[in-house]
Amino acid sequence: MSDPISEILLFQVGAHVFAAPVRDVVRIGTVRDSAAEELVLDTALGTPFSRQRCIVVASPGSERTLVVDQVVGFRTVGENDVQPLPAFAAACIHSGALAGLVVLDDIPTPFIDLPTLLREHAARRVTPQ
Amino acid sequence: MSEPFDVDDETPAQQQGKAGRAPKGEAGRLVSFLHGIAEGKLEDRLDVTSFSDPGLRAVAEQANAAALRAAADIREARQRVQLVTTGVDEAIEAMIRLVIQGDLSGTLRLGVSDAALTPLIAGIGQVMETLKKFVTEIREAALQLSTSSAEVLAAATQNESSTSAQASAIHETTATMEELKGASHQIAENAQMVASIAEQTLVGGRQGEGAIKSFMSSMESVKRNAIEVDDAIAKLSKRVERIGTVVEVIDEIADRSDLLALNAALEGAKAGEAGRGFSIVAAEMRRLAENVMESTKEIKNLITEIREATHAAKEASDGNKKMAAEGEKLGGHAMESVSGILSGIQETSDAARVIHLATQQQRTATEQVVQSMSEIEEVTRQAQAGSKQATGAAAELTKLAERLADLVKRFKVE
Repeated sequence: MSDPISEILLFQVGAHVFAAPVRDVVRIGTVRDSAAEELVLDTALGTPFSRQRCIVVASPGSERTLVVDQVVGFRTVGENDVQPLPAFAAACIHSGALAGLVVLDDIPTPFIDLPTLLREHAARRVTPQ
Repeated sequence: MSEPFDVDDETPAQQQGKAGRAPKGEAGRLVSFLHGIAEGKLEDRLDVTSFSDPGLRAVAEQANAAALRAAADIREARQRVQLVTTGVDEAIEAMIRLVIQGDLSGTLRLGVSDAALTPLIAGIGQVMETLKKFVTEIREAALQLSTSSAEVLAAATQNESSTSAQASAIHETTATMEELKGASHQIAENAQMVASIAEQTLVGGRQGEGAIKSFMSSMESVKRNAIEVDDAIAKLSKRVERIGTVVEVIDEIADRSDLLALNAALEGAKAGEAGRGFSIVAAEMRRLAENVMESTKEIKNLITEIREATHAAKEASDGNKKMAAEGEKLGGHAMESVSGILSGIQETSDAARVIHLATQQQRTATEQVVQSMSEIEEVTRQAQAGSKQATGAAAELTKLAERLADLVKRFKVE
């Protein structure tokens, strides 16, 4: 959250639309073009249904591929459009991947920190609760 | 016996007239006396003492003796006649009494016996014997007559009963034959109707045969058309599959194009303001790709519908072929059945015609039989009347025989 946000990617997992900064995205691919061991299906965002697209995210030392149902598109937003989570909500949510809420057409959309999401997913796989 | 009465019919006066002049004196008295004796005056006597002439006196005495003797003879003769007459009367009375009493077993006994009655008694005995024989024979004949008349009565009664039964049976037979005549008439009409209906059915059956042939021809056409439709559906299915393959390729290309557009847009977004135009082009490309994918999706849906419709058409076509084959089979069976029915109807028509002719002949024969039965009934009725008369006559004869037997029983012959 140190760099100003201007361009975001909108994607859909299940019935929900999420937003993420384009700088975290290396490329967009398909499930069939990706290796199975690289695919990340069930995350804190939920489990995709159609699994049409993959979002390749840069992580330290390697790339991780998040499977989503659909890439909705790209939007340019101002800094004021991104709101931090309320303190009570941030205290209730145990994941750090939810960076805030971005208001798109007056609809608050979860703003996701993709590297954190994938890291938490990897950490949960190593030490399952 | 008749000698004293055997005198000339002429009177002494007449005889004196013929002799001439009558004597007078003692001779005259003597002649007169003799004339009186001749006339039957046998009780007169001459006084012989009055005759002076001895000769005349002796004649007078002899004349008196002759008169006395003649009178005695006449008395004796009269007594015998009386006796014989009594015997005859007794015999006749006894015979009549025996006949009246019916006792022919006894013998005739008379209180008077005279040799002159012997022939009469013998004659009456012969008469009685003859009567006894007659009565015996009549009794036997009456008995036999009674038996025979009873048998005749029984036979006549039996005959009357048989004749009545026969008349009743003939009457019933005549009534039955009348009914048979009516039934024959009805059967003839029904047979005619059956023949007519069979003819109509035959015509209808032949029309049905033609309809079945047309049906089988139609089934053949349906089957041929179904095969053609099947071929067309197979070709259509192949075309649709080919279109599907092409659409899959297009869809894949569109997806790749969408992916490329997304990555282009991503790079444009990463480039910031410098990549704005690139992002716009990428977004446009993505929209086009999405349009293509929408179109291919619609095409896929249409292809799916076409596949379903083709499958349904294929099933319908298979069903048509199956139904056509079944229809041909059923038509063949129907054809065989109709042929059998037509043959049966033809036979029925022929049989009905034969039955009609036979029943007509039967009706004619039955009418003749009815006529004959009527004549027989009339004859039987006459025979029945005759039998009744014979029975009456036999009954009357039996009564007469019984009466005769009763009458004959009155005569005792043993």
